[in-house]
Amino acid sequence: MSLLDEIGPLKIEALAELNSANDQAALDRAKGAWLGPQGRFTGLMKQMGSLSKEDRPLAGKAINAAKSELEVALKEARDRIELAGAVPSEPIDFTAPGRRLRVGKLHPLTQVTEDIVKSFRKLGFVVADGPEVEDEYHCFDALNTPVDHPARDAQDTFYVATDSRPLLRTHTSSVQIRVMKTQKPPVRIIVPGRVYRRDTADATHNPTFHQVEGLYVDKGVTVSDLKGTVEFVFRELMGAKTQIRFRPHYFSYTEPSFEIDFANSLTRKMGKDWLEIAGCGMVHPAVLEEVGLDPEEWTGWAFGFGIERIAMLRYGINDIRLFYENDTRFIHQF
Amino acid sequence: MKVTYNWLKEYVDFDWSVEELAERITMLGVEVEGIEQTGGAFEGIVVGQVISRDQHPNADKLTLCKVNDGSRELQIVCGATNFHAGDKVALATVGTAMPVEEGQKPFVIKEGKIRGEVSQGMMCSGKELKLSDDHEGILILPEDAVLGQAFGDHLGAKEKDTVYDLEVTPNRPDLNGVIGIAREISAITGNPLKLPDVDPPESGVEISKAVAIDVKDPDLCPRYNARVIQGVEVGPSPQWLSARLEQVGVRPINNVVDATNFVMMETGQPLHAFDLNLLTEVEGKRTVIIRRASEAEKFTTLDNQEHKLTNDNLLIADSKKGIALAGVMGGANTEINSNTRDVLLETAYFNPQNIRATSKKLGLHTDASYRFERGADIGCVDWVGRRAAKLILDVSGGQLLAGDLDAFPQAPDLKQIVLRYERVNAILGVSIDPVEVNGFLEGLDLELVSQEKSSAAFRIPTWRVDIKREIDLIEEVCRLYGVDKIPSTPPKGCLGENEYDVRHDDIALTRNILTGLGLDEAQGQTLISDQSARLVKEELVELENPLSSDMNVLRPSLMPGLLDSLKNNLVHQSQNVALFEVGRTFAPESKEIRKVAILITGRRYPAFWDDDRGKQDINDLKGVVDQMLELLGIYGVNFNRREVATTLYIESAEIKMGKQSIGQMGQLQPGVGKRFEAREAVYLAELDLDTLLQRRNSSKSFKGLPQFPASERDVAMLVDESVTHSDVLEVVNKVKPDNLVTARLFDVFRGKNVPEGQKSLAYCFTYRSNDKTLKEKEINSAHDVLVKAFRDQLSATIRDT
Repeated sequence: MSLLDEIGPLKIEALAELNSANDQAALDRAKGAWLGPQGRFTGLMKQMGSLSKEDRPLAGKAINAAKSELEVALKEARDRIELAGAVPSEPIDFTAPGRRLRVGKLHPLTQVTEDIVKSFRKLGFVVADGPEVEDEYHCFDALNTPVDHPARDAQDTFYVATDSRPLLRTHTSSVQIRVMKTQKPPVRIIVPGRVYRRDTADATHNPTFHQVEGLYVDKGVTVSDLKGTVEFVFRELMGAKTQIRFRPHYFSYTEPSFEIDFANSLTRKMGKDWLEIAGCGMVHPAVLEEVGLDPEEWTGWAFGFGIERIAMLRYGINDIRLFYENDTRFIHQF
Repeated sequence: MKVTYNWLKEYVDFDWSVEELAERITMLGVEVEGIEQTGGAFEGIVVGQVISRDQHPNADKLTLCKVNDGSRELQIVCGATNFHAGDKVALATVGTAMPVEEGQKPFVIKEGKIRGEVSQGMMCSGKELKLSDDHEGILILPEDAVLGQAFGDHLGAKEKDTVYDLEVTPNRPDLNGVIGIAREISAITGNPLKLPDVDPPESGVEISKAVAIDVKDPDLCPRYNARVIQGVEVGPSPQWLSARLEQVGVRPINNVVDATNFVMMETGQPLHAFDLNLLTEVEGKRTVIIRRASEAEKFTTLDNQEHKLTNDNLLIADSKKGIALAGVMGGANTEINSNTRDVLLETAYFNPQNIRATSKKLGLHTDASYRFERGADIGCVDWVGRRAAKLILDVSGGQLLAGDLDAFPQAPDLKQIVLRYERVNAILGVSIDPVEVNGFLEGLDLELVSQEKSSAAFRIPTWRVDIKREIDLIEEVCRLYGVDKIPSTPPKGCLGENEYDVRHDDIALTRNILTGLGLDEAQGQTLISDQSARLVKEELVELENPLSSDMNVLRPSLMPGLLDSLKNNLVHQSQNVALFEVGRTFAPESKEIRKVAILITGRRYPAFWDDDRGKQDINDLKGVVDQMLELLGIYGVNFNRREVATTLYIESAEIKMGKQSIGQMGQLQPGVGKRFEAREAVYLAELDLDTLLQRRNSSKSFKGLPQFPASERDVAMLVDESVTHSDVLEVVNKVKPDNLVTARLFDVFRGKNVPEGQKSLAYCFTYRSNDKTLKEKEINSAHDVLVKAFRDQLSATIRDT
């Protein structure tokens, strides 16, 4: 049989072997047996020299064509085997829980505080801060608190046991004084922070809690502005359909003073027409005078509320102590 | 304070419903904290009289009756048979809601036909009225029952009324009486205030013949007024009086005391009645002395408690003994009793601060002290005295001695305050007509003393202790105009400015980075126990008046709080805890330092069914700290291992920037861990956040991406245990091999083939040029210099790789 006649049958044999290889090893063996240096196709090439001048180009052409065909088959076989290898050995249960990373959560008080800060910042407010260990001047005197006001009592307020007897601020309003004394108006700040009252811890009290104070001092500031801003902020916080009511009240450092009640689906669910949420008022002229501002020239308003209270209302939390226990089962709910 | 709907109506007219009144009072600034209905049982039921009783034409067991309800004749079908024509009965008219048990549906009497005959009401049995269990027949009333009278009145039941529990703000002592509230209503309705008659008839005998007053301390008692009523008959009060007191929460005692209590609730001015004859008489006269108690003077108040007084307490006394603790409580020795014939009636004004101090010191809080310490009305003392005298005469009989004794050395000048109309608008943001403004203020009995075009001056009555300057008048206008009528204008104004604003965001970023690294945020108590605090620091900020010993210092560190939080989790079977807190810590001299603390323990990742990928170790903590610093843009932080264990840590490092110590991290002492329920290793870190944020470099800039391939060279070397990663980096930084871009530690090994006291460190060094592909030779020559430096400077033995 001539060399030319051998090409066809050998090719068929080689293709069958490549196609029947079911793993990489078998494929490698087949490749070696046919296309390797000692392979049978390589052997054919070596026999080319024995052919006549006329036959040689014909045979070369036929061998090359067969070889490309085998190479295509080899690649296909390799792809087939790789694909087969990639298929998982067992079926996957896509309903089983996946492998998770640990995701940390911000404390709910931080989340609420940030929401409050965000809505105030929309209105051009910036965040200010002040010390928690305060003196009586900033916490009470400068805020027009009567000298014998019960809030000053050691019964209600924590004092530090040093000679100067600083106290733990009972409200963030002390920062009003510090800012107005150091910064020329207009002033437009909010002050989130910790405050302290000497209440034994129970479901609604903790000796430490958080407040946010808002203060705006400028020319021509009125009760109308106060109402507009408060309504904006509380609708942001408690929902667009929240109704806000202002009710005359008394605070020593504002005049007129108001308490703010709100009503929405939440209060209705609690069976209440209105729920108290904040206190506010026009900065008392005595306070402006105390920080060296002329109340004829400058007016302002301030308001304050408890962050825990907002968080408790918003999320339906029934015990303030949960905020300070840091049980991760609690924190992960928000 | 409590008031009732009907009581208010006696002083001012209004046509509001029970709910409207609550709403109006609330919107005036007196919050209604509770509303309670009292009395009013048997409404709609009247005393009726049977005119005729016949057989029902269509039913054997029913009767058909004509009944008079006092004004007309009704036809009523009745099932009972125990009555006759002429009997008086309890007749429920059409529309009456019959008394039912709590929770039952109301049963309302309707006009209807029973077996074809019209029935226009119901004659009630004792059971139907919930008066007895008798349902055999209807209730037959006595013959003298008044036809047409409300059945409730017939029984003497209380009238229907509504009691409001009010929260009066401390600046408005004038609202601690019914008249004060009525005055507010008068101001908004424009209806006149109707004050009671205060002109009691007087006898011919002058009071000065019987009694004298001697105020020793006019500072503490600026006004003392006395009247004497002789020949009273002490006994129970009339029903209207005791009923009214009970409604507002005052226990009736006897007619004289009840009269004084009633007038207190009415006017807000406390009074006291003494049995005059129990005061020491000297030469036919009794002298009331108002003086400070002497030190350690003993006095028994009428609740039979003995008090030891001091010179700071004001005492009402006679010439021999104390008879009342001024403004707080009367004495047991001169109390009104069943034998009392002559009454000394005290109406006074005491210094509020002094009353508050006494009341607090002795723990004695009374309706009187409550009102005096908020500031009573010094101007109304005489008027209230007359009012009370009149009422005592009305309910207890007797005769009022002529005149009164009124020690009132210095009547206060009535304040005058000018109100500029333009300021009203400037503060409230709404334009209110001056006529309307004047109307509001005059409605509150502020007297208009002069009127200019743009302003007016008002005289402030003595009861308005809260009105001190113009802004207080503006507040009154605001209340009466109605804050709900002031328009809300969209927020306007300036851009705020404060240096802290940026810091707030930096802190928020820190929190976000740490949650991103898989930690939960904690918020701990600021007040902790000194015992916990001493784990971290000896110098503490202690409270003078702590609530308890577990909250007696300000936290010097966030770590004790995190350990408490750890415990809270462990006791709830949450074993895998990764927490951080950002918060303030406190050091002496009012230093407040913001810190960030981290605690991790337990499993590294959430539990997974296939494998749990190990427990947290110190390297996890270090990773969190490293990444937090990197993400904040803080460089140049060093970790210096401490040679010895501390109270808190079994193994730890001090964290430094340059020479400044900025924190610490390490593994908790297992003994400390056990105190917080930890059975596994706990890792803690705390850094000074204020300092970190000051050193933050948040600038960012783009560097071109590498264009040429990199080559890596690995080095494994044996070094002494004391050689640290940072020592290795120091050598690298000193040598600065050409084209070296990174040095990465990829293995630390101790054990087989590594001598005791040594460790094997393996590093991968990456070389790359920005200009070209490096040749082997170039890389090798640079790398060889580095390896040699390791040998020379770290005494490293290079291992074959």
